[in-house]
Amino acid sequence: MSTTNPMPFLRSLIGKEVIVRLKWNKTEYMGILLSTDNYMNFQLDQTKEIIYTKKNGIEQKSSELIGEIFIRCNNVLFIRELNEEDNEISKNGTETKDEDGDSEVVEEVIEGEDVVVEES
Amino acid sequence: MSTVQTSHQQAEEPLDLIRYQLDEYIIVKLRGSREIKGKLQGFDSHCNMVLSDALEYIYNENDDEPMTKKSEMVFVRGDSVILISPIIE
Repeated sequence: MSTTNPMPFLRSLIGKEVIVRLKWNKTEYMGILLSTDNYMNFQLDQTKEIIYTKKNGIEQKSSELIGEIFIRCNNVLFIRELNEEDNEISKNGTETKDEDGDSEVVEEVIEGEDVVVEES
Repeated sequence: MSTVQTSHQQAEEPLDLIRYQLDEYIIVKLRGSREIKGKLQGFDSHCNMVLSDALEYIYNENDDEPMTKKSEMVFVRGDSVILISPIIE
């Protein structure tokens, strides 16, 4: 059986669109992984910050384009490659953004159809 | 000799992004709903940083407007850093 070790796996994600979930504040960063190092710090480009909040029991998602960022290793819960489902989400976000003419997007996520992937 | 070459060919690492921002304005997101904008004077691999002309924003759930604090020169300890980003003007 062939194994995939963490470091080679991270290297294989370089140049691809990824999602980095932080340990706190229900925050995710969606962007292109530019580089990683031995600490497993991450450098992302064309980054979108996505924060999930709960208001009156309704899950809300707000996203904002923040460009190129450095994420310090200790904050990271996980990193994964973007899948098709996420692509739809990102498209939805952009569409709303165009209508508003605003960089801040807030949209409601119907409960039960929650896109947050805690187990992945 | 070939091993030396490959180590030199290693693509750039995340801390290089910060290195390119020396003497430029950056925004640093910190633990505890805080952000600092300032001119990067220096940093190390722990993300300890020295910022000049710094403005700290403290966000409060109850207030829309963040509290702000100015400092001419400030040291930020790396362990409270979440992310660092160049300010695009």
